Amino acid sequence: MFVRFVSQSIRRSPRRKAMTVAAVAMGTAVATAMLGVMLDIGDRMNRELSSLGANLMVTAKARSLPVEIGGVNYRPVSTQDFIPEDQVLKIKSTFWHLNITGLSPVLRASTPLGGRNVPVEGVWFRRSFRGADNAPLEAGLRTVNSTWKIDGRWIDDRARNDADFEIMLGSALARRLGVKPGDSLQVYGRPFTVAGIVSTGGEEEDEAFMRLEVLQQLVNRPNQVDAVQVGALTKPEDEFARQDPSKMTPKEYDRWYCTPYISSIAHQIEEVLPMAVARPIWRVADNEGKVLDRIRGLMLLITLAALASAGLTVWSVMATTVLERRGEIAIMQATGAGNGLVAALLSTEVAIEGAAGGLIGSWIGLLMAEWVGRAVFQTSLETPAMLGPVVVGAAVLASVAGAAQPLRRALMLEPAVTLRGGE
Amino acid sequence: MFWDFVIRAVQFRKRRLALAFAALAVSATLATALFSVYSDIERKMRVEFRGFGANLIVAPGGSAQTVPLSAVALAEQQSAVAAPFIYTVGRIDSEPVVVAGTDFRRAGPLTNYWRVDGARTAAQGECLAGATVAAHLRLRIGQKLELENAPCTVRGIVTTGGAEDAQVMVPFDAAAQLAGLHDAASLVEVRADGQRLAATQAALAKALPGADVRLLHAVAETEANVVLKVRSTLFLLTALILAITTLCVTSNFSALVLERSQEIGILKAIGAAEKKIAALFLSESLILGLASAAAGYALGLVVAWWIGRQIFPESAAAGVGVNYGVFVPVAAVTLAMAVVATLAAAARIWRISPAVILRGE
Repeated sequence: MFVRFVSQSIRRSPRRKAMTVAAVAMGTAVATAMLGVMLDIGDRMNRELSSLGANLMVTAKARSLPVEIGGVNYRPVSTQDFIPEDQVLKIKSTFWHLNITGLSPVLRASTPLGGRNVPVEGVWFRRSFRGADNAPLEAGLRTVNSTWKIDGRWIDDRARNDADFEIMLGSALARRLGVKPGDSLQVYGRPFTVAGIVSTGGEEEDEAFMRLEVLQQLVNRPNQVDAVQVGALTKPEDEFARQDPSKMTPKEYDRWYCTPYISSIAHQIEEVLPMAVARPIWRVADNEGKVLDRIRGLMLLITLAALASAGLTVWSVMATTVLERRGEIAIMQATGAGNGLVAALLSTEVAIEGAAGGLIGSWIGLLMAEWVGRAVFQTSLETPAMLGPVVVGAAVLASVAGAAQPLRRALMLEPAVTLRGGE
Repeated sequence: MFWDFVIRAVQFRKRRLALAFAALAVSATLATALFSVYSDIERKMRVEFRGFGANLIVAPGGSAQTVPLSAVALAEQQSAVAAPFIYTVGRIDSEPVVVAGTDFRRAGPLTNYWRVDGARTAAQGECLAGATVAAHLRLRIGQKLELENAPCTVRGIVTTGGAEDAQVMVPFDAAAQLAGLHDAASLVEVRADGQRLAATQAALAKALPGADVRLLHAVAETEANVVLKVRSTLFLLTALILAITTLCVTSNFSALVLERSQEIGILKAIGAAEKKIAALFLSESLILGLASAAAGYALGLVVAWWIGRQIFPESAAAGVGVNYGVFVPVAAVTLAMAVVATLAAAARIWRISPAVILRGE
């Protein structure tokens, strides 16, 4: 009989019910959309920030002080300090390998060009490998520097080839030498073809780039690189991360190790490459962290404001519903229904309306979040699967809570008074 | 008598009106807060990006080795922050080391990312040592560094993860003397405001034909990109939220009128003109609308101010994240919603004959 009562009640005045459900749906949609965007925006922005370039520099432990201005080395070359090229990919086998979005090994040399000593870098441009779990991974200059502008074309080094004498020049260097893409240039006594000209605004403008294996051959340093630039998605440093890891308790150390702080990732790289030193590039890492913190904080607060308003909407709509049905409640009391039964009947109806509105609203909200994600980031947002159910549950709770107070008041009144029309 | 009606109506249905008031006020609060934050977010985010340091470099062009020192003044005329640097090779115990001549006062805002143990500036006779140099030479703060021709006391140790780690930073004039440069620098770092970047670059390039004025693409583009994406996200979310709350509020106001269909029926039956009935309900709605807009505006400004304080505490300027000009559009939209909803609902009712309404349909 309970069920019959509820289902009959729901079918009565469908327009009122529809309006109530719609209002709950709207509130839920707002909440879901905000939460969906807020939960994923941090990761999306982190990826945008990776266009700043490497935030970690891994260099061979040097026994002597580097003396380098603008990429040109001013000390007699000592070839004993290097990182073996065949171990570079170990960087992608650390605990946080999924956070490492780019790595670029580099061998540095210098050679006279146009009357001046010019830094030459032997690099991987973009090569594909199979990672530890057989997943495809890419490494090279282009994975760390996505904003470089090219006049001409990149050197295509998908296949290793130490007889491919192509070179890329920074735009300031190219201007000074008066060369354009396609020209021939004598470097290390051989003719090189200028494949492309690089424009970045930074130090690279005065440098020349060629395939790593070609430079290794020309300067007789087989299997050697001087440094590896690494780009990683990190969690901004907070008070906990700033502690000295050697002074942490084992539990703290575990927590630090298992959080992608830049210092922790650097430490793990040093673990797999014992001949190297990994140092965060603070200019990039610190500021990435700050910008991310701000964005996340802002989204969180706005989401809270929106959630508060969504909650209020649902609450007020349900309260109104109950207020309108005081007459019904009075009749039920007058015909002998106990307060508990009346409360149960109405709460069930309210809960059903809340659930229906919640389901529709969370579906709409997820669509809205998806739409915002596509419009702003051109990719789908990744919303946790639990978001929908949690929001529906919250909608039901808010509905029942909203109805509770007016329900209580209505039950306390004398049915006769209510039916007569008084308050 | 007209206003008598209105006032009594409000008094009589206080609780019911309170709910509608709350709904509309919340909508106005959200609108105010979101628009305030949105209109200021670009400025705030660009301030964040200052921490990255320079976004323009004035480097020697062609076959030159230096840039004229006048570049600094030229950049400052463009309302940019600029600092000159000299890089030369010095010797410590006949071991070569890179010496960076730094105008510490000017370089301060461009080098926020330096992590410094000790002092961030050095005066005549003092210097800062990069972390690698300090480790290699086992330097401590306060120690005397025997830099050939320019001995100095180490005042601080700098860690950046970049080139600075292997440098010794001395006052600009000391390095100029060491390098034998006069009125020139190795390069000048410049930070121009995001929106003035292109203009500043063009002006400097024109004024310094012998130099290469380079835009640091990575920094400039990332800044532009992130600012755009944050604004877009905020804008879209705001639009969606407001669309939804508008729907909610209009339904609320419609409901208010629909509930009083009996009243409307009676008023018609005793001869009130439809226009007068409409005016009655409209006045109520307008009062409600104005009151909620005002309350929502005030509360929204508080929320925007609070959000601004929480997220950007360094911007201590008054009116952080607060945009007073939002009131007019918010009030206008709020009132428009109230009016439209009221009229639509009232119009539906007075088309029905009073007898039908009073009978309870």
